[in-house]
Amino acid sequence: MPERRGVVPTTAERLGRMLVVVPYLVRHPGTSVTEASALFDIPAEQLRRDLRLLMMSGLPPYGPGDLIDVDIDEDDEIWITMADHFARPLRLTRQEATAVRVRAAELMATPGVPEAPDLASAVAKLDATLGEAPIDAVSGTVAPPLLDEVAAAAAAHERLRITYVAASTGERTERTIDPESVFAELGNWYVVAWDDGAEDERLLRVDRVERVESTGVVFSPRGLQGAGRPLYRAGADDIVVRLSLGPASRWVAEYYATTAVEERDDGGVEVELPTRDLGWVAALLLRLGPDAEVIGPAELRERRRDMLRRTLAVYREQPGEPDV
Amino acid sequence: MSEIDAIDPLERLLNLVALLLDHGRPMTFDEIQDAMEGYEGSKATAKRKFERDKDVLREYGVPIETGTTDVLGGEIGYVISRDAYYLPEIDFTPAEITALFVAAQSGTAAAAASTAVRKLLYGADGGILSGAGGGPLVAGADTDAETVAAAADAAASRRRVTFGYRNAQGVVRDRDVDAYGVVFRRGHWYLVGADRERDEIRAFRLSRCTTRVADTGDGSSPPTGFQATDHVQGGPWEADAQDRAEVAFGDAAAALARSRFTGWERLDRASERRVILSLPMADEETMAALLLQFGPDAEVLGPASLRALVQDRLRDLAEAVDA
Repeated sequence: MPERRGVVPTTAERLGRMLVVVPYLVRHPGTSVTEASALFDIPAEQLRRDLRLLMMSGLPPYGPGDLIDVDIDEDDEIWITMADHFARPLRLTRQEATAVRVRAAELMATPGVPEAPDLASAVAKLDATLGEAPIDAVSGTVAPPLLDEVAAAAAAHERLRITYVAASTGERTERTIDPESVFAELGNWYVVAWDDGAEDERLLRVDRVERVESTGVVFSPRGLQGAGRPLYRAGADDIVVRLSLGPASRWVAEYYATTAVEERDDGGVEVELPTRDLGWVAALLLRLGPDAEVIGPAELRERRRDMLRRTLAVYREQPGEPDV
Repeated sequence: MSEIDAIDPLERLLNLVALLLDHGRPMTFDEIQDAMEGYEGSKATAKRKFERDKDVLREYGVPIETGTTDVLGGEIGYVISRDAYYLPEIDFTPAEITALFVAAQSGTAAAAASTAVRKLLYGADGGILSGAGGGPLVAGADTDAETVAAAADAAASRRRVTFGYRNAQGVVRDRDVDAYGVVFRRGHWYLVGADRERDEIRAFRLSRCTTRVADTGDGSSPPTGFQATDHVQGGPWEADAQDRAEVAFGDAAAALARSRFTGWERLDRASERRVILSLPMADEETMAALLLQFGPDAEVLGPASLRALVQDRLRDLAEAVDA
């Protein structure tokens, strides 16, 4: 039945799951089918079926006293006896031990993760038992001051009024948001929220939230996607910017969301950046200098020229005497 | 289920694990065939089935080993060593297990991490799910878990590796490195090791590898006192140098600057419209570039050399774009 492939687990996958779930059930007698199914991410029916099979296994000569005894009682609680061989879990494979440490390092390097201290002690215990692994993390940043407030509001579905500084426009705005999910990516904290004024979903940087005021209003979540979402989402009003960048500016292609990157012969790249706003791109071009060439749109060249003139004007005066 | 599989293959595999764990000494295939159901039929077919089962078990980390049996003549047999099979007892607190659970769920899906944590759940008290639900999650590094794992494995076993690597200037070249460690920093994974061609310890951003990290043999041990994290440089925003720049920002730009630079200080001489910040700087070239990105919303007040550099940059660009 090829159309069901990917849904029906292979025997190997079922075995892998049994060797992990059975020791837990032996150690925690009376665990409910629902709880075990959630903890081990196995559909309840599949779990029941595999546990029934478990009852038929054991040791030679496979008489009644040699088989594993599984009882699922009327309260749906699981009781397993006679499973001495499966009473303790299998060791972690090297890949598994590495994978969990890699994830732990990513979490620990993000300042403001509430689980970090417990994670650090858990990893220390893993090291003590399984041997140390050469996997380190450096944080390099501090947690945003209002992270806890924003995260608490997201958890409680509480509408907030915030003051926010957008890097794209450089403007400070007052907004009313329904914060749905708070997550960190690449070392920065984000909040996914419904922006009441814009009547659209917004991804905001928590470190750029300057002020939080609670409203006491509870909202119903719209199911906006949190962690793992792309940091930039294409919209209908996007402007497509095309830049040709010298080798010294190719970091732009790594740092910003691009829709196309083409290598140039000299180690530079041509990139296509989708954006809602040209302001921040013009500012970026000031930083990149003559190393970046604007292929399009023409309006961006205008914006760059304008910003350049205004910046030069700032420096025409004596230091500290703004005339803008 | 075909006719040959009179019993469910899962049952056969579970019985095989139990049998080999229980026996304690290597068993020949004949002995296994006699002892349990599932390997009936012609010897060749049954043996092939057994070989496939062995592969499945190994794939899931079941340490089936071969050894010489005590049958006369010393035939080859199969055994699962209990020491190699069972996870040692690790006494985690519920909070630690919850934290591991959250960690395994974070980032791009890594089945290996989930399985690892589910094995570790065994030692935990109940109530794990209530602790793990709804908390903030961390997503994403710039490198897939397999590449990081390959580099970490190489470092753990002191292996020598080669890989294609594109440096920050875009030049692609093959690297030959004795792997010492991996480091995660601000969303990037780095492999730290001895570059054999340059004969020095360097950090390589794994997202810049243009090929898989390939094992090419034995590596070397790091020098005494080696710390992988010492070799991963901070970004330009995170200078902790003694040199400082004094910059006047527009009000909103000051808020952005405070979120970008670490180690900023606010100076008292703020005018009504502008905020003056003192910022640490690693070098003037980098600082000038970072401040130019604020456009007319930032003005370098000092040092004079930095102010002159920013002005030079602006003039260069004005010439190039004919402003």
